[in-house]
Amino acid sequence: MPFSLVDFLQALAAGILVGATYALMCVGLGIIFGAMRVINFAQGDFLMLGMYAAFYLATAGGLSAFLGPSGGPIIAAFLAGPIVFALGWLLHRFIVARVTGAGAAQTEGAGAYGQILTTLGISLILQNGGLIVFGSAPTGIRTPLSRSSWEIGDILLNQSRVVSFLVSVGLAVAVYLFLGHTRQGKALRAAADNSQAALYMGIDVDKAHRVAWSLGVGITAVAGGLVAGSQSFQPYTGFDFVIVMYAGVVLGGLGSILGAFWGGLVIGIVQQMSTLILPYQLQNTAIFVVFLLIIFLRPQGMFGRLSERT
Amino acid sequence: MSFSPAVKRQLWSIVGFAVAVLALMAFLQSDYFELVLTQVLLWAVMSLAWNILCGYSGYFSFGHAAFWGLGAYTVALGLIHFDLSPWLTIPAGAVVGGLAGALIGFPTFRLRGHYFALAMLAYPLATLYVFQWLGYQEIPLPMKREAPILYMQFADPRAYVALALGLLVVTLLISLKVENSRFGISLFAIKQNEPAAEAAGIDTWRWKMLALMLSGALAAMAGGLYAVVLLVVTPEAVFGMLVSAQALILALFGGVGSLWGPVIGAAVLVPLAEGLNAKLGDVLPGIQGVVYGVAIIAIILLAPEGVYWRIRDRFAGRLPEAVPMPAGGGAIPAMPRQVRSRMAGEDLLVLRDLGISFGGLRALDGVDLSVPEGGLYGIIGPNGAGKTTLFNVINGFLSPERGSISFAGESLVGLRPNQVCRKGIGRTFQVVRAFPRMTVLENVTAGAFVGAADDAEARYMAAAALDRVGLGARANALAGGLTNRELRLMELARALAPQPRLVLLDETLAGLGHDDLDAILGAIRQVSAQGVTVLIIEHTMQAMVQLVDHFDVLDHGRLIASGTPETVVRNSQVIEAYLGKKWAEQVAVAAK
Amino acid sequence: MTHKLTRRSVAKGLAVSAVALALPAIGRAQAKSVKIAMIAPMSGPWARQGQLLRMGADLAVEDINARGGIKSLGGAKLNIIYADAGDSTEKAKNAAQRLVADNPDLVGGTGSWLSSFTLAVTEVTERAQIPWLTLSYSDAITNRGFKFVFQTSPTADWQAAQTVPTALDLAQSATGKRPTTVGLIMDNTAAPTSFAKPLREGGFEKAGLKLVVDQIYTPPLSDATPLIEKVRSAKPDFLLLLTSAMPDCKLVLEKLDEFKLSHGKIPLVGNGAPFGSPELLKTIGPELLEGMLFSVANWPMKGQEEFIERFKKKTGEPFLTQDALCGYGHPAILAEALEAGGAADKIKVAEAIRAMNLTTGPAAQCFPGPIKFDEKGRRVDVPMIFAQWQKGVPLTVFPTDLALATPVWPSV
Repeated sequence: MPFSLVDFLQALAAGILVGATYALMCVGLGIIFGAMRVINFAQGDFLMLGMYAAFYLATAGGLSAFLGPSGGPIIAAFLAGPIVFALGWLLHRFIVARVTGAGAAQTEGAGAYGQILTTLGISLILQNGGLIVFGSAPTGIRTPLSRSSWEIGDILLNQSRVVSFLVSVGLAVAVYLFLGHTRQGKALRAAADNSQAALYMGIDVDKAHRVAWSLGVGITAVAGGLVAGSQSFQPYTGFDFVIVMYAGVVLGGLGSILGAFWGGLVIGIVQQMSTLILPYQLQNTAIFVVFLLIIFLRPQGMFGRLSERT
Repeated sequence: MSFSPAVKRQLWSIVGFAVAVLALMAFLQSDYFELVLTQVLLWAVMSLAWNILCGYSGYFSFGHAAFWGLGAYTVALGLIHFDLSPWLTIPAGAVVGGLAGALIGFPTFRLRGHYFALAMLAYPLATLYVFQWLGYQEIPLPMKREAPILYMQFADPRAYVALALGLLVVTLLISLKVENSRFGISLFAIKQNEPAAEAAGIDTWRWKMLALMLSGALAAMAGGLYAVVLLVVTPEAVFGMLVSAQALILALFGGVGSLWGPVIGAAVLVPLAEGLNAKLGDVLPGIQGVVYGVAIIAIILLAPEGVYWRIRDRFAGRLPEAVPMPAGGGAIPAMPRQVRSRMAGEDLLVLRDLGISFGGLRALDGVDLSVPEGGLYGIIGPNGAGKTTLFNVINGFLSPERGSISFAGESLVGLRPNQVCRKGIGRTFQVVRAFPRMTVLENVTAGAFVGAADDAEARYMAAAALDRVGLGARANALAGGLTNRELRLMELARALAPQPRLVLLDETLAGLGHDDLDAILGAIRQVSAQGVTVLIIEHTMQAMVQLVDHFDVLDHGRLIASGTPETVVRNSQVIEAYLGKKWAEQVAVAAK
Repeated sequence: MTHKLTRRSVAKGLAVSAVALALPAIGRAQAKSVKIAMIAPMSGPWARQGQLLRMGADLAVEDINARGGIKSLGGAKLNIIYADAGDSTEKAKNAAQRLVADNPDLVGGTGSWLSSFTLAVTEVTERAQIPWLTLSYSDAITNRGFKFVFQTSPTADWQAAQTVPTALDLAQSATGKRPTTVGLIMDNTAAPTSFAKPLREGGFEKAGLKLVVDQIYTPPLSDATPLIEKVRSAKPDFLLLLTSAMPDCKLVLEKLDEFKLSHGKIPLVGNGAPFGSPELLKTIGPELLEGMLFSVANWPMKGQEEFIERFKKKTGEPFLTQDALCGYGHPAILAEALEAGGAADKIKVAEAIRAMNLTTGPAAQCFPGPIKFDEKGRRVDVPMIFAQWQKGVPLTVFPTDLALATPVWPSV
């Protein structure tokens, strides 16, 4: 074997840890897609906003100073969520709602086109606006966690990634419970399944979509905040993650939150473990190959539903 | 070859457009403007290529960069490794693109909708990493000073404008041909309602594959010429997300699914972006992206389907030209190739012990049914009884787990829906999705292809079918303006256009008011009187009782009654199924 | 000009003066200013690089004009125009074409940082016969037989051949042992690829090194764990890092620290300016970077102290880096060429650059070694600079005559 057991386990560990943050990002995207059937090209840019929100909260906002350089960034990541949630709310209210939702669902083709172009436009605005506001220099949140690890035998678990893992899992569980067990969550699911029927039953589909959208971008932003402690970023960083997010969501099954989570996790694992047998350069090709394989063998993904209505 | 006036107009438009571009080329004195013009034309080709697949068939692809990139690398690597001139390698790129389309289409067309679009996303990106790994991070095209023209290296940028224009004109002509042929109409039908198209005899898989291959070939040629113009090829530049996004944006902005939409998109957005870069790029870096994004959003809010459609809809009052109507409207033309064995009275469609389950649910549980030729049979049952499933099984959308289906003695099991249709079975669908911007005749023609040798015959048959249902007078009306009744009749005509022996009507009467109902019932009776076997599903007793010769009642996947309307309505099981046990008991008591 | 005026009749003279007054730009341009250009990414993912280049160039033009402009052209002012190369080769090419079309009086230029952008831009400038200076050093740039493109960074071959032996010498002098095995971590962009190619094709062997870890990744790096895991298992005596983007540098360096391989455990040498960027300092912090050594084509050297302070004060940047330094140096070279050529003519400027052999003067002070180009437009025989992070500032430590500090090999 070209690699040892330690190599294998280390790569697996890295894959799971990296995958957990991908998983959280995918959950955010999955909520939006599941509830609104919208392909949000700007999701990566909301991730980026989360990174910057966390960064400013940690530094200028004094969180790192107040809570310490380890704890500060984590809280900052959390708080990035509501900030981006609010931004998402406004965006949906004034722009996105006009091209999505119950109204657009009627005009089938037209709705889809509008959504795609609108989210592409939003992406352009966020990226370039980000350049103007944040500047071009790559930046990152400094935390001692990013270069320390806990050891299990020979396997090193990066502390920053472990914390991200725990937060991601916790948040994903919270979202899952929210969608499954609260009225608001159930309204979201009803609106997703059949927006017309939901309308007739008195569910405010528009509001449900707004919640879904804002929640989706907010969750992804928290994931961004978590990643910001491990990696540096600049206003165009979102781009690099969009593909990973989509691969994860489709892999897990469009419309399933659980699926989105597992899909993101699988993507992370594939990405890191592929380096054991493939050249490092083909990491992301490996993701796509796995992605395509899953789509062909099981189009509904791991947890999704197959039917699209005739 | 004679062209319809509409096509002639488009041809003249293309000529006019080409002349205008040539004039612009001569007028613009700056190398820079010529370069931008070349890019406008190349991106228009790319967007048109995308449109041929995605605009016409509705199968959105987020990965057309795959073809563009393959075309670009074919040219670049051909030049570097084999010293082949782009004059050769650009057309060669078309072959590469077409093959790639076939390779990609095989697995990917098993997907639909969003899955398809996202799967397409993966191809160029995966390829991007492979090319980087292979060491092709940046390839400058070598300068061929000794024979520049031979290698498509012109000192005068206008030569590239001319080449790009040539490619664009070819693409426009191809698009025009596609739009006005059975190919295009089949794609439109797929976009409107793929199962219905399939059931109408359209070989959806074949047309989709052809569209993807054609789209890939054209995109690859555009990519090849792009490499020649740019002179540097990097994986990011030709396989990147921005390329796929650009193809999409231009078409969606300009008017997706139209001939001129992508051209409009390219003509407006490419210079706009470049102009923004030029004016604002060094003033406030990033502002040009913001402005561009705002512009896109603004336009899409104002014109959700694109500029072209918005403008055309404004002027849609004009009726399109009249298509020459067949003489002697009203009578059915003489029977075509399909010989009708005078089997009247004998069983045409025979189902034996048909069964299918979904998970634990037995949707059909041993259904036996025989429909004689010329009969007007009804299948009725409460919601969830399995009626539509039954039709879907007959049609070939679902494979039965047990049992047999035979039509005129031949088994239908395992045939694809379009093959079933070819055997002589037509079907209507509950949700009528018409092409609102096309005429009624054009809508119905889509259904006639399967029975017609060529497009002209298809139109003729469509016209005849419209007469049969009594909608002949509205042949040239835009389908978007039809009433509910007229829509149902049009749907019926579409199913009848290829002159099937059996027609399956799926809840054609649902939700109709009294007058409309009478009209439709009359049309159905008329059709039956002309010898077509009719099998109709409904769940309202009242309408059916007046219509059919024979009832079969389906409940929970099983036939619980079979016979004339009079006997069936008194059947206590039927009453129980529809009204519940209490009522059945009451009726039983009353009958005594 | 004056000569011509006195020759004309009064009426004509008045007319010409009127014209000269009405169109002052034309009148002045011929005597009073000379135009050069910079095409660099100012928006998009590489905007930071363009910003730094521009800072340097602005300062250079200011200084040159403050010193009296181009004296051989009657004190003509140097005038620089900028164009944004954006985020794609298409945009870069468009910017170049636009610049050339709008400014027929351009006599020289510089840009565009990313080698693929430089390739696209120089296709245009070569056709327009505009002399072009670049700090990009991928082989392809000067392999096309162009006459008007000049690379101020030494070739990748040369850099590789210089970096490895010097690094080994430094390692030996610090630890007493000469490394015999080497690990290589790099991304697959053009510059590192060009750098590593000669090393793999015998360069390592010649230096007595066996390659035990050879990892190439596609940027951006997602996580460095599998990379460093391989380093941990192979335990090379010495690690060469060719990570050309700062975010990747951060991931690799932090991961090395996490795996307890930093601080001299495995001596490492980086290559490329990103290893000395202020952004790296901000995201990693000075402790981890302390003692980190990297080789780079150009870095602030002895003799530039005053200039460095001035730059810091004017721009607010914590220290001077390669991008800003070359951004400054290239207009300086063009100014020298204009002086030597004696005419605001691009052909003459190109000839002057080709004939150049500068060892003194404001331009020569910006680059190690003499400014002299071979027939392909490449600089030859220039010393490779090594810089080392010391107390939060990356300072040149080698070669000694250009050093601003003495090298310290971090003790294990």
